[in-house]
Amino acid sequence: MGRASVVSTESRRPICSSAIRQQESAEEATVTPKTSSREFSIYPPMPGEDSPLRWGGMKFEDLPIAHIKATYNNTHIQVTDHSGQYMARTSCGAEGFRNVKKSTPIAAQTAGISAAAKAQAKGVTFVRVVVKGLGPGRLSAIKGLTMGGLEVVSITDNTPVPHNGCRPRKARRM
Amino acid sequence: MARHLRFVARTVMVQDGNVDAAYKALNRVLSVDGILETVKRKRYYEKPCRQRQRENYENCRRIYHAEMARRISFLSKANRPDPWLGC
Repeated sequence: MGRASVVSTESRRPICSSAIRQQESAEEATVTPKTSSREFSIYPPMPGEDSPLRWGGMKFEDLPIAHIKATYNNTHIQVTDHSGQYMARTSCGAEGFRNVKKSTPIAAQTAGISAAAKAQAKGVTFVRVVVKGLGPGRLSAIKGLTMGGLEVVSITDNTPVPHNGCRPRKARRM
Repeated sequence: MARHLRFVARTVMVQDGNVDAAYKALNRVLSVDGILETVKRKRYYEKPCRQRQRENYENCRRIYHAEMARRISFLSKANRPDPWLGC
């Protein structure tokens, strides 16, 4: 998949000379000492290269993963560690919603909150999110995870895109 | 994508806990790559005749919009050297 060149507007730096840099550093040192020294890139650190970023003392590859499967009728959330070992699992149906109420953003949010609570009981703070599917609970599940207390570090989209594999069902309203 | 490296493509980092901005950036990347519309289209099967009609329609639409934008930008040029100078 090609990477689109999305320019992050937060880290736009002018080409400044040394005199201006000294003035700016004198101002910025009092305001934001931490964020001005590091450039934020929306791209994740590659598995091979060493990046200085750490979350809770863990590298990016060792963070636990929260898989969110957002189908059109339901939303499942499963939290695993970096190798894929199961840690916590909920879904909208497990929260007590039935039938059509499972396919709502509110149900996904409650599922996210309960999954965050279960994961925090196992000692998880920072988590990378992997979303699969285009459903109504796609964004609100992530919101629920943050509301439940987990820190989201990155969002990946793992929606299955077949390169003309299995034939899907026929079009509706023939 | 089981045969690819995980967390390399289609990944967006979250800055300062701003999940909404990260989600927007992810959606922008996916729509520019054409993944969102592919997923929506492949939900139901599209017969080959319908696919050919749609490709034809999209090509014509693209040409029409490009030509119209070109003409409008040409007509809306206000700063140009005076054509009647010296008469």
